[in-house]
Amino acid sequence: MAIKGGGFSRKSSASDKIPDSSLADIAFLLLIFFMVTTVFRTDKEQDIIWPQAEATEKIDEKRDDILNIWLTQGGEVFINDQPLTMNQVRPIVAPLYSASDRRLVVSIRSDRDVPYRLVDEMQEQLKAAGVVRVVFATELEQRMTRARR
Amino acid sequence: MAVLNKKSKVSDEIPSSSMADIAFLLLIFFLVTTVFPKDKGLAIVLPEPNEDEVDINPKNLMFFLIQPGGVIQVKRGESEQIQTITPDRVEGVWRGDFADNENLIAVVQTHPEAAYRYMIDVLDGLQSAGADKISLQLQEGG
Repeated sequence: MAIKGGGFSRKSSASDKIPDSSLADIAFLLLIFFMVTTVFRTDKEQDIIWPQAEATEKIDEKRDDILNIWLTQGGEVFINDQPLTMNQVRPIVAPLYSASDRRLVVSIRSDRDVPYRLVDEMQEQLKAAGVVRVVFATELEQRMTRARR
Repeated sequence: MAVLNKKSKVSDEIPSSSMADIAFLLLIFFLVTTVFPKDKGLAIVLPEPNEDEVDINPKNLMFFLIQPGGVIQVKRGESEQIQTITPDRVEGVWRGDFADNENLIAVVQTHPEAAYRYMIDVLDGLQSAGADKISLQLQEGG
């Protein structure tokens, strides 16, 4: 008696289909990943060495109300990636300040080795623009590093 | 009777195979939404542009003179005596003097060529000591 089907017809119990029940999860995962990683960039971080301070505090302000002004070691000034001269700071900041309903906080992100006269000039420009709330951006310093200095 | 014993083919267990996916999803969600904000620093309030100048009794002034090399000199009011201190002593010096005179105003006068970080060191010391009346100035004749 011949074996039915020549012995080849016995089916394997393992499924030959790729399981696709988690496909929706993977899709959502990717979706959420891209949703949260898409950030509308405000400005590029300039190459500065941050000054350190123990009294560093977080600025409790909305992102939109903080304007970063960069001051590099070479004395270049950047606002929103735009290289500027010191005298251009006031005409640019003044309208932004009034548009923000006087809520604008200016964060001076200066290299720690910049001569102070540039920082002072910057303050004079900001004062002329009417800005009163200024933050000297610093990194938090631990007591241990200070003791070693 | 035979009819009632027939078991339903629908599983009564909650499917848990996607639990790992959910966990990863939450993990990734929190990983990417946790931002370490760089919006921090030492806050100060600048004077208004048209603010009137106020005469202050020199006795209520304490000068911190920052020299180009980072040397910090303390001068009290009208006294000509100059004390040289290190940045880590600013906090203690201020606390000591402020305890005697609560109207004390800190005047930080920085030399134009002194590095910004020396000014930050002094401002840090003053803010750590809780000073709220601080004036930032540029040293004249520098």
